[in-house]
Amino acid sequence: MNVACDWAFPLVWAQQSELDSIPWLKWIIVLAVVFFGIFPGIVAYTVWGERKVAARFQDRIGPNRVGPLGLLQPIADAIKLITKEDLVPRSADRWVHLIAPVLILVSAFLVLPVIPFGVGLAAVNPPSGLIYLIAVSSLSALGIFLAGWSSRNKYSLLGAMRAVAQLVSYEVPQVLSIVPIILWAGSLSMVTIFDKQVLYGWFLFSPPGMLAFVTLTIANIAEVNRTPFDLPEAESEIIAGYHTEYSGMRFGLFFLAEYLSVFAVSCLGTAIFLGGGTLPWPLTGEPVVTLGGGETLFAMLLLNLPLIGIFMAKVSLYIFLMFWIRATLPRLRVDQLMAFAWKFMVPLCIINIFISAVWYECVIRPSKPNYLLGWGVTLPLVVVSIIGVLALYRSSMKAEPVELTTGSRRRSVVRSVS
Amino acid sequence: MDIFEIVRAIAVIVLGASGTWLLLPHRHGRIKPARSTLVGVVLSGIALICLATLWKPPTTFLAGAFFYLFALSSLAGAVLTITSRNPVYSALWFAAVVLSTAGLFLLSGAQFLAAGTIIVYAGAIIVTFLFVIMLAQKEGRATYDRMARSPGRATATCFLLFWSLLYALIALKTPPGLKPDDATDSRLARGSNLLIAKGIAPNTPEASVVHRALSPTNRLPDIDPGTTALGRHVAGLGGTLYTDHLVTVELVGALLFAALIGAIAIATPKPPIRPVQSNPPPPAS
Repeated sequence: MNVACDWAFPLVWAQQSELDSIPWLKWIIVLAVVFFGIFPGIVAYTVWGERKVAARFQDRIGPNRVGPLGLLQPIADAIKLITKEDLVPRSADRWVHLIAPVLILVSAFLVLPVIPFGVGLAAVNPPSGLIYLIAVSSLSALGIFLAGWSSRNKYSLLGAMRAVAQLVSYEVPQVLSIVPIILWAGSLSMVTIFDKQVLYGWFLFSPPGMLAFVTLTIANIAEVNRTPFDLPEAESEIIAGYHTEYSGMRFGLFFLAEYLSVFAVSCLGTAIFLGGGTLPWPLTGEPVVTLGGGETLFAMLLLNLPLIGIFMAKVSLYIFLMFWIRATLPRLRVDQLMAFAWKFMVPLCIINIFISAVWYECVIRPSKPNYLLGWGVTLPLVVVSIIGVLALYRSSMKAEPVELTTGSRRRSVVRSVS
Repeated sequence: MDIFEIVRAIAVIVLGASGTWLLLPHRHGRIKPARSTLVGVVLSGIALICLATLWKPPTTFLAGAFFYLFALSSLAGAVLTITSRNPVYSALWFAAVVLSTAGLFLLSGAQFLAAGTIIVYAGAIIVTFLFVIMLAQKEGRATYDRMARSPGRATATCFLLFWSLLYALIALKTPPGLKPDDATDSRLARGSNLLIAKGIAPNTPEASVVHRALSPTNRLPDIDPGTTALGRHVAGLGGTLYTDHLVTVELVGALLFAALIGAIAIATPKPPIRPVQSNPPPPAS
């Protein structure tokens, strides 16, 4: 299973012919500083931010004892996690129990190298970057299943089965809502998608783009197991789900992986829909257009610092949106979760691909883009399709008492397994 | 093609097949005499040694190191997949095989194929396997671990496939897994030959069409100077799929669609038939 870790290297090696000494230096800096320093730091302060935000939503103060505003709280938490005893249950499968959190963490980390944080700041730029991204993020389902199975605990197993069913289901709308972007950019490379948005503005600004962004956001929240899709780790039902039997730093790895994937899906949404680090419509492609073009180190810094700043601001807003949804909505039921994915999200995403093809024909393909025609045609189509699919979904949920029996049957099957 | 290599390849196939057949557990898990197992081990060993003489080291160091890493881990994973007692471990080792294979694809420059393998196998199919194993598996060792239903036919099929693979490798004379660089092979028809035969001048639209139609996928960037380093992989794959293999793609699509409809038809819950009922059941909707 360690093969998963070796995955990044051939990707580096495949570009080796284009690398000489300075890119090698850049690589070492990227690996050492960004991957072992900055990303875990971002995770730590995302946790702090979530605790503060959740506290404000619940009319509390949140962490405020360790350092000013509780800013040192993540460090205290990390020290606590590292120094705690590392327990493995006696009946657990020792090696699989060890590998599972590592696999999830590797999958969360491997998403990040293809994200274009600025101009020339994507660590690797494979021509099939989006497919790569989907592939490595789909590995986490395997890790979660292994964690639940190896613990030999019925709550862990239930959590793992819920998680895997949910991840496999919501991966479909996630991928389908990326398809319009691939269609419009004509490429799977994240850097090319960023460049197209510098030229033509954010992909969000079209009716099918907005619909795809909303469906992608919903699927993203489900993919990272956050409320209202947090059934795999629902504390009130199955303790902590698949990581019930983990303690100390192994639990810390799950924690790190979860918040890292929150960060990663936010980066994905920002990079492909919100134009990466560029400004919105009246200032299309702005920091790049004005500041770009220089080849010196100073010019690169001058260009990339505002780009990273804007990118991180958008990512923070996206993460805040997730916290907000978490504080607002209650948890779904298992049958509602599955029906919502397969009966509402998937049909809507498939229809949206056709609508985005209409947008492509109206706006992107012609040499002189006809925005008025594009909005006039696709906006009614989007509204009609949302209303139609919603009506179908409602009627199917209402008309079928079968729905309840399938739900309870699924639950009883799960119960008999454990 | 070297006749000596062909002889060695035939020796690998024949010895390996008979050795494997002797080693396999036979019907009803009867214990076999130790002598036949010993003969099987010796024959398989000789076959492996013959296979090793056919092997050529790949060229560059770093590529070779990664090639060996992935090749050996996929082989080891495959062996462990079929020898593990616990079916969950088998599925996990199969995941390791899939990941290593994806690494090999990546080394050959087939990024899309690598990612697709991971998505389809590691992401979906192995998880389904694990579900099925957990829902259907009884405790303890299964009988099918200790007996082979038809070892002769299984061995024959496997070694026929192996023979075709080995023959193809010897015929192409390429180092395993790396750069199928067969530009010097005169037996394959090249676009340039056709151009000379038909008298088409190079640098015309006709010439580029002929080049495209007759070239393997990995040569597309050499032919189209317009394709950038970024565009070539996925665009080349898509171009090949929807020009050279259009009928195959459409057929596979139709087949999958039919399978989907069949799955839905099978899985749709039917209304239960209640035996004790005074009035006749309503017609099925």
